[in-house]
Amino acid sequence: MIGTLLGRWRPRPASAEASREARRWIWTIYAKETLETVRDRRTLAMMIVLPALFMPLATLGVPYLAERQQHQIQTVIPKVAIVGGSPAMMHLAAAAKLLAPVRVKDAAAALRSRQVLAVMEIPPRFEQIVRRGGQVHVGILYDASDPESTAARARAMALLSRYSQRIVAARLAARHVNPQLLRPLVVDQRSVATQRQITGSLLASLLPFFIAMWAVVGGMSVAVDLAAGEKERGTLESLLVTPASRDAIVIGKFLAVLTASMAAVVVVLIAMMVSLRWGYPYLLHTTEKIDVALPVGTAVVMLAISALFCALVSAIQLAVSTYARSPREAQQYITPLYFFTVLPALAVEFVGDWSHTAWAYLVPVLNAFFTFRELLLGTLDWGHLLLAAVACACYAALALRMAIALMSRESVVFRI
Amino acid sequence: MADREILVEADNLEKRFRGYHAVRGISLRCYAGEVFGLLGPNGAGKTTTLRMLTTVLRPTAGTARIAGHDVVGASAQVRRAIGVLPENAGVYGRLTGRESIRYTGRLHGVPPEELEARIERIAGALELTPHLDRLTETFSKGMKQKVNVARALVHNPPVVFLDEPTSGLDVFSARAVREFIDGARREGRCVIMSTHVMEEAEKLCDRVAIVAGGRVRAEGPLDELKARTGLELEEIFVQLVAQTVA
Repeated sequence: MIGTLLGRWRPRPASAEASREARRWIWTIYAKETLETVRDRRTLAMMIVLPALFMPLATLGVPYLAERQQHQIQTVIPKVAIVGGSPAMMHLAAAAKLLAPVRVKDAAAALRSRQVLAVMEIPPRFEQIVRRGGQVHVGILYDASDPESTAARARAMALLSRYSQRIVAARLAARHVNPQLLRPLVVDQRSVATQRQITGSLLASLLPFFIAMWAVVGGMSVAVDLAAGEKERGTLESLLVTPASRDAIVIGKFLAVLTASMAAVVVVLIAMMVSLRWGYPYLLHTTEKIDVALPVGTAVVMLAISALFCALVSAIQLAVSTYARSPREAQQYITPLYFFTVLPALAVEFVGDWSHTAWAYLVPVLNAFFTFRELLLGTLDWGHLLLAAVACACYAALALRMAIALMSRESVVFRI
Repeated sequence: MADREILVEADNLEKRFRGYHAVRGISLRCYAGEVFGLLGPNGAGKTTTLRMLTTVLRPTAGTARIAGHDVVGASAQVRRAIGVLPENAGVYGRLTGRESIRYTGRLHGVPPEELEARIERIAGALELTPHLDRLTETFSKGMKQKVNVARALVHNPPVVFLDEPTSGLDVFSARAVREFIDGARREGRCVIMSTHVMEEAEKLCDRVAIVAGGRVRAEGPLDELKARTGLELEEIFVQLVAQTVA
């Protein structure tokens, strides 16, 4: 089908007058479509209001809830049933405030009903065996599906570890052995990452996904309205009988979709930066502000790659909308495009090894996200950037050419 | 007729869709300063014929020239010479009446000052002026149709195609549109309109072609057709369509 569509297209030589006229048509169509878009409250809500509200929720709301849960886990002392028992360990547990020891009749039932969050099973004659220098097996029961129970298990492990260290220390002392002999290495860890790099890593894990999501969502309703919507309203035929060429009609509409898509992406970027810069220290328990200010050069390149990515998405959406019989059908076709765009954005974190190979920068969608990562992490390779930019532009041009070819087919325009 | 300029000329126009022969060799000539009616029942091939003449459908066979330009070989020039009101044409709901008409005028390259003057003149003739700056989504069906008629004529085309121009309009709107069509004829334009309202055809058309089954069954000036058959237009129409169905 693509071959048939493109086979009909032949580049035409254009005189200066024809070029001027084509630019006038494109501008007239673009201005009209943009005016209609701006006057459509639903589209504006999708394009600007929704991302402006959604981004603070996504960037702050989720970390806030995660931190709240962590805070609870760290500050609340979990109830742990200790079966069997060892006075020394009970004393250590109370002193270290790692867990609250509880006595229950049926420990497993108490764990299932969440009366306790974990159970420590201490065998009979525990302290006698330890005193004799023997080894004891201590059991821990917990619920792996419950984060609080898992945290209680960690605390029980910490308690056992401390107790174990005391025993070892006592045994070594009895044998006049310096405990330091068992710790030949002392590890001193230091990260060489700057605050910028840490912020870049945070942004690299968030931004590609949200850019992908809003590039599609921002332009979707406009693309559907401008082609399938025109068919349904009966305004397309009036447009096709004007002197404006099919190329000019599609390019004018494409620019309007691109504007909407790009506007949504810019709103997302601004909302996210503002949320991270001022929302993080306010909402979360961090003392330092996050430095999210991108260098001008990085921001410009980032916007340029975003524009190319939005161009690709917009051209595909417009081609699909042109092909569809109705807005409803267009929505159905565009929904899978959303998943095909967002999935690589999610996957990019886990296929970092591909980013070292040139071919990855030729893969549509994935190339833009690898480039975003490099930009944000400050590891930009200009060769990769060039490959990704050229590939994005070529794919967008191909999709746009398909939209023009579809708009020129009477069987598609009139669905006969 | 011989001394008048032929603006629309079609010879054996045919259109086949997948497994369906919609138009089977329609030929017609239309002149400057006349209203030509394409009469026929639903599915007769009127709209398909108009779409071929307005370049949005490519004829399967036959040729057509509009203002001297071939509809296939010089479709861009044809589109500069025509104004079209398509069947069931909609409006841009989030544009005002003025913006809608201006949009079409700009696509046709009408200079800005001239365009504004034309919009005022056409809106006045169609009694649209008081509503011109309201969004068209608030318009009645009649007012929407008037906006579309205005869009078809804003660039001053010599040839105008109107597909069912008064379909579904109230008496007042239909009358305003008919008067406008009459005015277009007086200005020397060639107006081709499709309709299945015989009364309207009798009021407006200088000549008609009765189309059924994708073919022209009768063509000529109204008076001549009536004189030839001794029947009223509606009776001629019914008999010809019945013969086609049989």
